[in-house]
Amino acid sequence: MTIRFSPKGILTHGTMILLSLTAVVPICWMVVTSLRPATGIFEATLWPSEVTFDNYVYVFDAIPMLRMLWNTFVMASATAIAQVLTGLTAAYALTRWRFRGGKAVQALIALSWLVPFQVTMIPNYVLSTKLGLLNTITGLVLPNAAAAFAVLLLVNAMRSFPRQVIEAARMDDAGHWRILWQIIVPNLRAPLASLGVLAFISAWNEYFWPLLLIRRMDDAVVQIGLQMFMSQEGNQWGPLMAAATLASLPVLAIYLVLHRQIIESFMKSGIK
Amino acid sequence: MTDAPLQATLSPLGLQRRARHFANLRLPIAPWLYLAPTLCILFVWIYWPLLRSIELSFTEWNMLPTATPRPVGLQNYRNLLELPELQQAAMNTVWYVVGLLPLSVVIPLFVAILTQNLRGPMRNLYRSLIFVPMIVPPIVAAVLWRWLLNRDYGLVNLGLSTLGIDPVSFFADPDLALWTMVWITGWKLMGFSTLLFSAANSTIDPGYLEAARMDGATEWQITRDIRLPLLSPMILLLIMMTVLFGAQWSFVYINAITDGGPLGSTSNIFFLMWKYGFQTFSAGWSATAGVMTFITFGVLALVFQALSRKVTFHDD
Repeated sequence: MTIRFSPKGILTHGTMILLSLTAVVPICWMVVTSLRPATGIFEATLWPSEVTFDNYVYVFDAIPMLRMLWNTFVMASATAIAQVLTGLTAAYALTRWRFRGGKAVQALIALSWLVPFQVTMIPNYVLSTKLGLLNTITGLVLPNAAAAFAVLLLVNAMRSFPRQVIEAARMDDAGHWRILWQIIVPNLRAPLASLGVLAFISAWNEYFWPLLLIRRMDDAVVQIGLQMFMSQEGNQWGPLMAAATLASLPVLAIYLVLHRQIIESFMKSGIK
Repeated sequence: MTDAPLQATLSPLGLQRRARHFANLRLPIAPWLYLAPTLCILFVWIYWPLLRSIELSFTEWNMLPTATPRPVGLQNYRNLLELPELQQAAMNTVWYVVGLLPLSVVIPLFVAILTQNLRGPMRNLYRSLIFVPMIVPPIVAAVLWRWLLNRDYGLVNLGLSTLGIDPVSFFADPDLALWTMVWITGWKLMGFSTLLFSAANSTIDPGYLEAARMDGATEWQITRDIRLPLLSPMILLLIMMTVLFGAQWSFVYINAITDGGPLGSTSNIFFLMWKYGFQTFSAGWSATAGVMTFITFGVLALVFQALSRKVTFHDD
């Protein structure tokens, strides 16, 4: 610990401690509330007088929580994998070839980021209905199977990839598909992994599209399940906090392990 | 179709013929094949629906598959522009952005500069902690702030009561509800913006700062004349993100907590689009609001583009 007790040091640490508390106290309070017994839900103590998992039991009885967590996991994994794959091939095309329309395509991909989802939602909803995608995980994944930020992130990574390596491979008559998979992919493991984690977290937290597409608890992702649970249970704070804790547990667990890399990749890729 | 860098490296080695051989083998459709998955998805789920929405905005349709959209010309635009509900939502959209700016830009910038000399093990702990709200699912943020700001038992009101302040109805008071929504949206962003500013701040060449100190500049002068100008691209970027996306980020909280109320005070344009589309089933109105919003934000994006070009110039 190197806290210097100069006025400047106190100000610096004080500011950071205040900001840290603002960030985590609400989340801690959620967890603590979820562990309180029904009779002690309005206690204002830092730790429950009696720790109980009753609220969690209640949640698992009241809503298909495990099923929803599984649905969300499948949806988020599929979205992440799809974004990595579509991003890879698109970025390869944009960095390996110079072709007519290449610039325009890149601009078109980048600009897609500016179109708010609310503007395209009705045609998308109608199309999904026609394709029978309501209440399905496929329907949740498809519109997000390609993402501008994935393409642009990988374009950047591939631009800085040493050309000589690819040229050597081309001398060996390696085709583009082989170059992509046997040379570029193994060497881009780090950006690919961070893109995957980022896409997984974003997909896990996605709210708007599932809100339109999912009408049944059994098919719901956990975000929508939580919203439905909240409108049913209103002020059942204990069970609500337990459900909210469960809904955020997977991303918090990933964050606990990979926090440094996650912060890094979020900062590289922008906010949306 | 060329592969210029490859040919350039090969020709000095006398391998030009071989290179040309490669070039002939390469089909011009190859890059399009690699782009196809991405382009298909973007066209089917973003660009085509965008065009469809523009078309829908000139029609009246209740979204029933049995009914067909009825063309109404510019009627929707005329009606909506005169609608008090839309004017209120548009105004609220501005307030959302204005309210978010201190949380997503001003405070983080201030904190980043104030804590720039922070070193040691605590630094990483703070970094990890202040980033947490960013990865928490938005609906979880909605649920937990609804509890923390609960009028009767919420932690915040308990705290206020020990200070002798009467309980505040954060969600039910029409004068306050919008700012509550802004706070929840901003709570998620604050730490993240701080980290972005800190990162930008730490890339400033210490040589500049040394030189200024040698010349006897005070810390405030250094901040004002060196740091802030060098940070201006990042400041502009975060202002742009807040303006373009701030109101969209609030959607979850409006939808899950207040449903636009009380008295429409927390509704914004993105919420209204959803309401027209999926609560009152007036697809035409929703599409019209969507097109107007898209044009407005598109123009704003262009303005920011122009501004950022100026800022980078100024940097050189």
